[in-house]
Amino acid sequence: MARRGVSRRWHVGLQQLASFAHAGSSLLGPVRSPKFVVDGEGPESVLVSSAARLLERLDLSSAVGQLLREAVRAQTDAYGTGAGTLLSLAGAWSSAAAECLHLGVPVPAIVSGMSEGLATCLEEVVALQVPLHTVCDQTDSTQMPAGPGPVGVGVGPFPQSPLGAGLMPKERGLHGTAPQASATSSFSGTPGKSAALFRPQAAAGTDNDPAQTAPTPRTSLRAAPGCRKPALTHSRHCCRAGGAPGTTGRPGGGLEQRAVTPRAHTCKDLAELAAGLSHGDASSMTLAEAALRLQRRQASVRQGGGAVPLTFDVSRVFTCCLPGLPEAASCVCAGFVTAVSAAGTPVPEDVQNRPLRVVLIEGDLTENYRHLGFNKPARAQTVSESTETLRQDGAEELWADRVLQVLAQFRVHLVLARGSVSERLVARCARSKRLLIGWVDGTVLQAFAEASGAAQVAYVTQVNEDAVGSGVCVAFWSGPAGGAGDGAGSRAIVLQAEGVNLVTAVLASPAAAQLQAKEDGFWACARRLHHALQEQTVFLGGGALEFLCLGHLQVLAEQPATEGDRVRSGGLPIAAAPRPAACPALLRPTVLRGLASGWRQYLSTLARNAAGRSSAFEAETFIQRHVQSAADSGSPSSYVLNEYSRLSGGILSPGHSSHPDGGPRVYDTVTPKVEAWRRALDLVLLVLQTDSEIVTGRGHTQVRPQESEGFLFL
Amino acid sequence: MFRLEAKKPSLCKSEPLTSERVRATLSVLKGVLTSCYGPSGRLKQLHNGLGGSVRTTSQSSALLANLSVTHPILKILTTSVQNHVSCFSDCGLFTGILCCNLIENVHRMGLTPTTAIKLNKHLLSLCTSYLKSEVCGCRIPVNFSSTQILLCLVRSVLTSKPACMLTRKEIEHISTLILRAFLLTIPENTKDHIILGKSIIVPLKGQRVIDSTVLPGILIEMSEVQLMKILPFKKSDSFKVALFRVSLSGDLSDTGEGTVVVNYGVSLENAVLDQLLNLGRQLVGDHVDLVMCQKVIHPSLKQFLSMHHVTAIDRVGVALMEPLSKMTGTQPIGSLSSISPSSYGSVKDLCTEKFGFKWFFHLIPNEETVCSLLLGNRNDTVWDELKLTCETALHVLQLTIKEPCVLLGGGCTETHLAAYIRHQTLNKPESILKDGWCTQTELQLTTEAFCSALESLTGSLEHDGGEILTDMKYGHLWSVQADSPSVVHWPDLLSRCGCGLYSSQEELNWSFLRSAQRPFAPQPCLPHEAVGSANNLTLDCFTAKLSGLKVAVETANLILDLSYIIEDKN
Repeated sequence: MARRGVSRRWHVGLQQLASFAHAGSSLLGPVRSPKFVVDGEGPESVLVSSAARLLERLDLSSAVGQLLREAVRAQTDAYGTGAGTLLSLAGAWSSAAAECLHLGVPVPAIVSGMSEGLATCLEEVVALQVPLHTVCDQTDSTQMPAGPGPVGVGVGPFPQSPLGAGLMPKERGLHGTAPQASATSSFSGTPGKSAALFRPQAAAGTDNDPAQTAPTPRTSLRAAPGCRKPALTHSRHCCRAGGAPGTTGRPGGGLEQRAVTPRAHTCKDLAELAAGLSHGDASSMTLAEAALRLQRRQASVRQGGGAVPLTFDVSRVFTCCLPGLPEAASCVCAGFVTAVSAAGTPVPEDVQNRPLRVVLIEGDLTENYRHLGFNKPARAQTVSESTETLRQDGAEELWADRVLQVLAQFRVHLVLARGSVSERLVARCARSKRLLIGWVDGTVLQAFAEASGAAQVAYVTQVNEDAVGSGVCVAFWSGPAGGAGDGAGSRAIVLQAEGVNLVTAVLASPAAAQLQAKEDGFWACARRLHHALQEQTVFLGGGALEFLCLGHLQVLAEQPATEGDRVRSGGLPIAAAPRPAACPALLRPTVLRGLASGWRQYLSTLARNAAGRSSAFEAETFIQRHVQSAADSGSPSSYVLNEYSRLSGGILSPGHSSHPDGGPRVYDTVTPKVEAWRRALDLVLLVLQTDSEIVTGRGHTQVRPQESEGFLFL
Repeated sequence: MFRLEAKKPSLCKSEPLTSERVRATLSVLKGVLTSCYGPSGRLKQLHNGLGGSVRTTSQSSALLANLSVTHPILKILTTSVQNHVSCFSDCGLFTGILCCNLIENVHRMGLTPTTAIKLNKHLLSLCTSYLKSEVCGCRIPVNFSSTQILLCLVRSVLTSKPACMLTRKEIEHISTLILRAFLLTIPENTKDHIILGKSIIVPLKGQRVIDSTVLPGILIEMSEVQLMKILPFKKSDSFKVALFRVSLSGDLSDTGEGTVVVNYGVSLENAVLDQLLNLGRQLVGDHVDLVMCQKVIHPSLKQFLSMHHVTAIDRVGVALMEPLSKMTGTQPIGSLSSISPSSYGSVKDLCTEKFGFKWFFHLIPNEETVCSLLLGNRNDTVWDELKLTCETALHVLQLTIKEPCVLLGGGCTETHLAAYIRHQTLNKPESILKDGWCTQTELQLTTEAFCSALESLTGSLEHDGGEILTDMKYGHLWSVQADSPSVVHWPDLLSRCGCGLYSSQEELNWSFLRSAQRPFAPQPCLPHEAVGSANNLTLDCFTAKLSGLKVAVETANLILDLSYIIEDKN
């Protein structure tokens, strides 16, 4: 065992954290510069465009690197978004903590001061919450295609949202009308084929047709009763009551200022919400929004046309990546889309486009597959009087015979298996006009089990009449409506059933390297939309949150440092003061400034990414000026609300300050954002409090002499 | 071919403690332990240096389990601390540091080991009899009719582990949960002796601490897809349960060295499956509603059971078997042949729960003595630490129910005890000196070594250059920040003592702990009103601390007593 101490003044862990975070700084915000990660030894290279993917590729074998990777992975697994924020703030705060150490602030004071500071900021940013109770899908019924089928929303190569307009004014000018046109065409057109192909579906669709084509306002009201509620004009009191209780007893009468809240902040339209949450990736958000609409329509059909709550169940959404097709071929389809390789699965003509009886297998469909936990007897010999019956491949033939017999007996033409499928069996089934598909996700099987009435079984021998489902249709994927997917050919197949709760986003890109990034982008948008609708609130984003925190910390730090107790009762609510030892009043301003510098760095990175390196200085002066005026105004929150458009414009598109009405709003999800902050600070404080590494299992001999400096042995 | 090799001679070292190397490694170990001690202790990153998982901790059990020490003396020390921790969970660092301090002090003062060992034993017995006596000034009886003291105890355990990364609000939440989980394990109708139930910690890694909760009964994690397959449950007041320890996956029992020979056309698998289906028929005939298996259930048996509306849950895992059997009153079944009806048990209700993105199958018991503590924390390393801390806190509560009193924490017990011992040996040395085997001077020196070992232990609570003071009335500990002005009015600088019982506004005299101590008699017998009113005390587990003290002194004595180390080099 070896132990390595960490120097008190120059904390190595904090320095490492800061340098890791610096690597990801260009991946923050709506305007990102993707990176190529190149393998130094081989020809491998990967295109990364998110912080989470970057960390997967970096060599982080040091202990701090491992902790960072673990924190980012936990954030990504839980929320699917916020990894960039986490990485950036972890870096900024670790430099800030190192700076505090250098100034001689003791570790417990930094720990308590920073966590107190974050706690008060979290109470403060409640002011920027936008309630979504009244949000409804104003385009609920109009944008529905006339008939169901594998049609979807085509996505043009250019961003269509207003946010995109704000970000890329030049391109917008060049291609002003193109995106509009492509969007309409894909909505209105229904391929002649599909209506005929999906007969059961088509019938259901016709029943709902009048409702679907009715004019907007009345149907949407009927479809979502929530909309009839009188719209809440602003809401901060409600939010406070529901969210974080405990008031900030701010000096200078916070209540009074709160009463004259400048504007009513509500977001009433789903499209507006989606655009605000797209964070610069409008094409992915268009797909996510389309997936949401499709899912709601499916739910509404299942419930007989009734109203369905506005939620987004991402567990029933899948992606299918098709390299080599133009981006315009990306779309959202009802049902499950899976790619078929050119030489792979033959799809017999006869099984296409008619309802089939289906069997769902929850394991492999091979002769030697046994369920999990089954141990094959190692020492069993089979003896026989005649020799030829014992041939090995004979066993598989026999098994295939039996499977085909069962399939024929129950008139099953489609088998979906969770694991692999025996190739010999696939070939024999193709001859008898049956289709076998392997590697189908468990949730997809569950969805088809619900829709078709089938029960999942482990072995074909278990199949009985109750286990067989019906009404599943198979067709070749024909690309989005409007012919954008020409050449889609037989690249993918679509599985559908009446009432199936499944949506697949087909992502196409001519460059295979880009597909991963597109998939990540889609999921980030979908998860953001999901969290926003689940929590029924969003934050006003685009840097406003960070601005408010900066302003608030500035006010706190400027408070005269008097006796500890008075500062505590004046500035911080008791409930928010964390961890046993409170930060001494004399050191508090230093620590709070350190915390603020984290957000300042975050904002200037955003601005720098958006505007290019040249105007970084300009952006920093811009931030400094507004933070000072926010602090001077006495109530940073109302300042931020009043000046919102100017602030977010200044951060996200510096140099283009020509938004008289402020341009589109940007939104952030609540819990993912706040948790990313907490995780970043926790990571920094964890590293800060660590004074030594203990390397297990390495004695004197294993440590190389050049690195043995600083090691102590036991 | 055999080859005989001459045995190497054993290596014999005399007086191991005098060697410079031994002292150096001992002081490294002491440094590691000391820097972890207390609420502002520093953390250690344990990893293998090759990119394995990283554990950040300041707890002795995690630390010592990963330290591989080579020297026999260090081995004695770490093993006895580990043994203490495995029995009492808490006070491991206390034991380790005190032991190191004692060895160091005896050496520094140049005492002869035999006398020091004998005197240490005497001083230890003075300590234990004082701590156990009614007049003890640092012991509080626990009143089980209020939760105040128990909550303080749990909170003290949580705050002393900084690597859990909890805010004050989260500490409050988790302490309440731990106390509730503990109370749920106490059976309602008790006869002569109580048999405590069990609290199971269920991981909710990656979720917020504030989302942690306690539920009565047992939760089994399942994927959503699996759970949907066993839904819906039927409605009933009581569900009959069968619990299998043996695998129902239909595999053959291990044949060992032998070989099974079967005729062509005979399928062993089918034979076993037939046996399983017979078992299924018996279960259905006995009107069992829920079948659970530690290992795997054959899919065909599952299908058969679900056709007869019997819920089947497999892969429960060995960890849940004991609580499941306890809670449902089942005898785990170990064979596939017929089942005796007495091995069935029952549960009150079945339902499903969802926390974050995890789904659980929830068994609600008839009598609640088993509960599940669903614990969340932001990432793996802090979750591991929080889990260990919660286990410690639950164990400490169990120990407290056996011995219903607690000690003042925050270092106050140690300083108080040191003051008491100093006073006793100065004023009543007769009891020790009457046999004449040691002199007054030796007694005074050993007392000084013993007491300053206790005091410098409390000094390890301070990691940022602060000063430790003690008052001359109660003998409690007070700490001052570093760089405080030298000449001050003490009450302005100090607020409360380490355990939080006394405030500096009382008329007290303070002195630095490092400076020479003027012996005084610390005030015995805690005033009742003081204990009743103080809401936010730092407390320590009585049993764990007492045992830690004994283990530390006895281990130190053992190590001081070593005169040879004989190593077998073969």
